[in-house]
Amino acid sequence: MKMRIDEYIEKVQNGKVDMVLKTKKVLAEIKKINKEYHYFNVICEDLALEQAKTLKKNAKSKRLAGLFISVKDCINVKDVESTAGSRILKGYKPLFNATAVQRVIDEGAIIIGKTSQDEFGFGSFATNVGLGYKTPLNPVDKKRVCGGSSGGSGGISKLASFEHVSLGESTGGSIVAPASFCGVIGFCPTYGRVSRYGLIDYGNSLDKIGAMGTNPEAVALVQEVISGHDQKDSTSLEVPTVDYAEYLEKSIKGFKIGVIEESMGKGVDVQVMEALNQTIKKLEFIGAKVKKISLKQITDYAVPTYYILATTEASTNLAKYCGMRYGAHEKLEGSFNDYFSTVRSKHLGEEAKRRIMLGSFARMAGYRDAYYIKAQQSRQLMVKEYQKAFKDYDLLLCPTMPVIPPTFNEAKKLTPLQNYMMDVMTAGPNLAGLPHASIPLIEHKGLPIGMMFIADQLKEEKLFQLIGALQQDEVQN
Amino acid sequence: MKFKTDEVIGLEVHVELNTLTKLFCSCPTRGSSEPNTLTCDVCLGLPGSKPVLNKKAVDYALRLCMALNSDIDKELIFSRKTYFYPDMSKNYQITQYDRPIGVGGHLQLPDGTKIGLERVHIEEDPAALMHPGGMHKSNSVLVDYNRSGRPLLEIVTKPEITSAAQARDFLKALITVLQYLQIFDISDGTIKADANVSIKASGYTRAEIKNISGFKEIEKALMYELLRQKEALLQGQKIVQQTRSWDSETGITQSLRTKESEDDYGYILDPDLTITELTDDWQKTIKETLPELHHDREKRYKKEFNLSSDDAKVLTQDYNLSEFFEKLTKEVDPILAAKWARRELARVLNYNKLDFSDIKFDHTHFSKLLILLEQKKITETVAQKILEQLVVKPFDVEHYVQKHGLKMVSDSNQLELWAAKAIDDNPKTVEEYAKGKEQAFNFLMGQVMRQSKGAASPQEVRQILKKLLK
Repeated sequence: MKMRIDEYIEKVQNGKVDMVLKTKKVLAEIKKINKEYHYFNVICEDLALEQAKTLKKNAKSKRLAGLFISVKDCINVKDVESTAGSRILKGYKPLFNATAVQRVIDEGAIIIGKTSQDEFGFGSFATNVGLGYKTPLNPVDKKRVCGGSSGGSGGISKLASFEHVSLGESTGGSIVAPASFCGVIGFCPTYGRVSRYGLIDYGNSLDKIGAMGTNPEAVALVQEVISGHDQKDSTSLEVPTVDYAEYLEKSIKGFKIGVIEESMGKGVDVQVMEALNQTIKKLEFIGAKVKKISLKQITDYAVPTYYILATTEASTNLAKYCGMRYGAHEKLEGSFNDYFSTVRSKHLGEEAKRRIMLGSFARMAGYRDAYYIKAQQSRQLMVKEYQKAFKDYDLLLCPTMPVIPPTFNEAKKLTPLQNYMMDVMTAGPNLAGLPHASIPLIEHKGLPIGMMFIADQLKEEKLFQLIGALQQDEVQN
Repeated sequence: MKFKTDEVIGLEVHVELNTLTKLFCSCPTRGSSEPNTLTCDVCLGLPGSKPVLNKKAVDYALRLCMALNSDIDKELIFSRKTYFYPDMSKNYQITQYDRPIGVGGHLQLPDGTKIGLERVHIEEDPAALMHPGGMHKSNSVLVDYNRSGRPLLEIVTKPEITSAAQARDFLKALITVLQYLQIFDISDGTIKADANVSIKASGYTRAEIKNISGFKEIEKALMYELLRQKEALLQGQKIVQQTRSWDSETGITQSLRTKESEDDYGYILDPDLTITELTDDWQKTIKETLPELHHDREKRYKKEFNLSSDDAKVLTQDYNLSEFFEKLTKEVDPILAAKWARRELARVLNYNKLDFSDIKFDHTHFSKLLILLEQKKITETVAQKILEQLVVKPFDVEHYVQKHGLKMVSDSNQLELWAAKAIDDNPKTVEEYAKGKEQAFNFLMGQVMRQSKGAASPQEVRQILKKLLK
């Protein structure tokens, strides 16, 4: 049984936990889970044990002392193979930690491994894993998908019996989608709140690192630690950090919550609709004022806008993977063009190739104005629509995913376009760079259904306030 | 077609800025010739790295825009130019696309011609490719990322250049401006160009010559290409629009590809970089601290040193010469310094077919020489001779004078001995002089000077000879 996270950390700080022994147990546990569920691309045993030993000597004042952290594969961990789930980066061991990783290490956390994901983040189910990688299975029902792209992070967060938080990454919904399907909290901050330095890029104007886990205090603590300005990332915001854990204790009485009207209709599973209605009742019970709000532009244009911008950026980001400096290599033959093509054809997965082609198309002369430029404009309109909404509301609410976790067979039958429509709820806040979180509130026949709350720019604390209030409600009932 | 001249040339010039660090990382731009030692995750394009703009490079770009009278954008925006090439660490180059930092402006050539400019923009340099054993023989290519990410400015002219010689003048003038602005180091900074070349006889069908390195090469490449186009027409061939490469080893251009339309680089905004506001305050600071440009310096020389217009102009047109002259003025009379820096030095350099940049001695050698001259310790003749030697190999001037006994001789006993000998040795000349032939006197003067190895004071020799010949 897990103890309260602050009590656990205090014990570690005071040297009352044998961290080496504990870490060995944790490693044994995740190895066992991994055999069955495929949540890790790499388990970094040596690094974890070394960190546990260091902790023995100086744990005092370390705010995350003894907390175990798994890291999505696309976030660099020094000297640990980091491939963003792609065979084209096989063997790439970064020379530096991502800022987010460095910050949790500095606060005494222990890194246990790199979690599985859709290749480069290209998917909503974690089924588009890179060539040679195993697909993570839903922790509740192994026939079903984990959600993606941070699938491994969602799965291990659900099953870990130890004090754990995962660092996930979201471009268009990759934190909240697996959080919803796995039944954990998935937290995605304001764009620029957490440094992207050391993050292997998907769509640079969209990528965000956030915490996932089952323990609200631990998620709040980690989210605070990884936040804050970083000179190594030009898009990092210069704003002070906030003690999020403090907000977990506060009431949300009087909070105005807008339910996004368009998320209640066509294309949404009945079970999901039912869960939304129950959530509304819960919110009203704990003192929130809930009203419907229409966000038409966002609902209509978020998915196409997202796919144009994200793939456009991705198609340039992935250009550097050509077998020349790191990652997969092939026999040197023909011209450089032949060689690059051989490496890329052989080692990139199907969805990666699809997105490179889509993105390259959207930025070519003759199409650039109609797609790339138009999508930029559309994005601005969405930002404005949100700004208007937040004049009246503290938070916005909709289901995280329009469906309950599909089985692998069901997922396989979806066309690429149907797949992309899974992001209809999540693309909006990601495009606008707004903080959002998926919270596991309801279950349907044991299957988790997450609800997504969106806050205004840099108002992360309101989301933690809500998470805390809902948790207290659970405890009381 | 709006063109009228026989030859039409437009240049895209790439200049390497002399910032201490690279454009998007803090790697040094100089300091090691060992390949791949001045690199980091950013300039190697390693996964997870992010660029951070070097503001100094922006300062330098602003200086150039101001000096060229280009309109400066209010915002600095970078784009990604994507194409696959082994010298590209990311397979995209961070550059500027539809919003360059500077638009328009012009550069004035020494003869007064103004060459109009399209734009000035900032971009990063790719890595350097090395072909062991030479471009054609090598069967492998090595990549040196020390150059990757160094800051470049691209200056694009309007197609207003009308000859290869004018293109050379343009580049010289551009280098001068860059040097005055202190943003370019001619000793190890490179200057490269792509050139659009066409001739009237073909109806101005353009050939683009890519990647010519060094300004002497640029003139050569242009001369070759203009000639090639004219010859081709004479032989009845059709000129087609194409891209050509310049091979400096063989001195010819070769067709790379013919193309109907522009290359498609699929530009997007670089989402790793935020928009940088070029605020009025920033621009004001740059304007106020702009180094003195050559036109201002020319005026100052006339006013402060009383130089002739001609001397002031010539001395300021070459930045290094001007800097050299400035240093001399601290030690010797500026008029003397101007005369020697401009005329005598130019004469010796011309004779040896050297450029000012080729000289090995520094201003201290030169000022010592002029001080000796100013103090009448050596004669002009001796000074000229020493200068001729200095150009070949620098040495301690005072020591040299001492060693070779070149100190000016005004001791009348010694001078009289030499003069008497000259008269005794040349009775015929003396006779001619007596008949009123002035040249004869000059010959005798020369004889005395020769005996003294140029060290005799000419005024005194003249007086003594006159006295003895009476």
